[in-house]
Amino acid sequence: MPDHPDGDPPGDDPATEIVLRAPARSLWSDAWRQFRRHRLALAGLGVLVLLTAAVALGPLILGTDPQEIDFDAADEGPSLGHLMGTDELGRDQFVRLLVGGRLTLTVASAAVLFSIVVGLLVGALAGYAGGFVDNALMRLVDVFYSLPGLFVVILLVTLFGAGFWTIVIAIAVFSWMNTARLVRASYLSLKEKEYIEAARTIGVGNIQIALRHILPNALTPVIVSATLGIASAILIESALSFLGLGFQPPQASWGAMLNQSQSAVINQGHWWRGFFPGMMIFLTVLAVNYVGDGLRDALDPRKTQR
Amino acid sequence: MSSYVIRRSLQAIPLLIGISIVIFLMLQMTPGGPLASSEGGGGRATAERTERLRAEFGLDDPLPVQYLNWAGGIVTGDWGTSYNTGRPVLDTITDRLPTTLLLTGLAFLIALLIALPVGIRAATRQYSAFDYASSGLSFVGVSTPSFWFGLMLLYVFSFQLGWLPSSGLEDLRQAHVGLAAVWDRLSHLIMPVAVLALIATAQLTRYVRGSMLEVLHEDYVRTARGNGLPERNVIVRHAFRNAAIPVVTIAVLMIPELFLGAVITESIFAIPGMGRLFIDSADLRDYPVLLGILTIAALLVVVTNLLADLLYGLLDPRISYA
Repeated sequence: MPDHPDGDPPGDDPATEIVLRAPARSLWSDAWRQFRRHRLALAGLGVLVLLTAAVALGPLILGTDPQEIDFDAADEGPSLGHLMGTDELGRDQFVRLLVGGRLTLTVASAAVLFSIVVGLLVGALAGYAGGFVDNALMRLVDVFYSLPGLFVVILLVTLFGAGFWTIVIAIAVFSWMNTARLVRASYLSLKEKEYIEAARTIGVGNIQIALRHILPNALTPVIVSATLGIASAILIESALSFLGLGFQPPQASWGAMLNQSQSAVINQGHWWRGFFPGMMIFLTVLAVNYVGDGLRDALDPRKTQR
Repeated sequence: MSSYVIRRSLQAIPLLIGISIVIFLMLQMTPGGPLASSEGGGGRATAERTERLRAEFGLDDPLPVQYLNWAGGIVTGDWGTSYNTGRPVLDTITDRLPTTLLLTGLAFLIALLIALPVGIRAATRQYSAFDYASSGLSFVGVSTPSFWFGLMLLYVFSFQLGWLPSSGLEDLRQAHVGLAAVWDRLSHLIMPVAVLALIATAQLTRYVRGSMLEVLHEDYVRTARGNGLPERNVIVRHAFRNAAIPVVTIAVLMIPELFLGAVITESIFAIPGMGRLFIDSADLRDYPVLLGILTIAALLVVVTNLLADLLYGLLDPRISYA
């Protein structure tokens, strides 16, 4: 069976009509079948679903106030009452971790969403317009690739203050280039296809072609890079907050909790203060990386076994 | 070849100009802009003094003219003055550079020393227990936040065991001589280098494994085996030498990443390098120093990219640049 790098549904292929028993399968059901075979990716997906649910619903179910101060229970190690121990103010670390996870995960998702939008716009424009526009935009991508991401994010945050949106935009500004390159490559190859020519001959406008006929087919490679982008966005935000330049108290992302735990861990040996927030970052990033790996295998047309 | 070197190097110039424009625009966004940067005043200047200085420093000139003046300064070594210390930015940075280069260099070396044998072994025994273990570990390594790894190392080796010092580059309480001095320096470097090398080692192991796997299926490897060469010989002389070409490129491209990672490492272990300088300058809003370090890091990216391209051409005889 021929490849379908452009994402044509296999059902349209004349070859499948000859083989009568082959049921029509969409790209997505094919991808899902493939994805399920990657056991670690499946486990990663499970961890992410669980984590998101815990972060979203956990604090409501537990009913503990993450800011509740209880000096009688200060600096306690993990126990049944406080699963992940308490900090120097006696605040329950488990609830704080769940609430902090909301911040970490929303910042990362928002940053990736922004970077995809920018990357799609730049990539589509460059690939569809071609020529001078393409050249200029790709040189811009080169420039942004050469600027050291973490340094610039730190600089932007010191310039404009460490608010939610500043952090989101600072991360997004330095992570759209990969998407732009992928989308441009898709547009370059797709705009030469017969179905685009057909659309043009019946008088479909440029914008309509770029958005309705090319864009959906150019999205597949973006999915993998966006997934992996979430991992790096989490790491950048955590690093920023760990360095004390990101979220400030009382807001506490996982990185910020690590930042506040430093002296407790190093000087007093309260390992739980640092261990659990880092563990959450690690688990999330690991799960995202495995899911990305599974998606790459599942969406790679060369690897699909039918 | 030499004409290729020149042509490829010339291609870096428009890129450098683009980067310098972005950095110049960021400089414009800083409070006080380039004026405060060359005055070292940090915005304390009075209105008429500012007025006078504006004229003197050409800030009423159109932006392109200002850009050319600024870029000329960068090329001739005038990078402005630190708000904090009043010292020239370039001197401030070059003072800190050797420490960061030492950390980066050691971490790079460690990454290579671990990744090459592990990656090769994993590839030659694909789907063995060793392969699964090393693949799993490299996924873990890539996903580990380095600051967390550092913090946990500090807890185990400094707080619990008391084996390694928790900060700085040397024992400040007493001077050591001879072997004790060597151990003093080493003991301060072990944890920072381990933290810095972690992600690079994990990434590099995956690349080495991947490129070895590609090469091992090639005809020339089968031919070498068919000729009855010892397996060791086949792997090292025939397979690895070809697999090494993309690995060298990736390894060179990792140098700027290690350099960036030094920000976090130096911050955890209180090491007075460039990364620490960057964080301290961010706390103090010392924009000239921040932009200076940014410029150095961007230069490093451009230079290593160039180097990777040139090395690729040099190592792969199939590519000719006539």
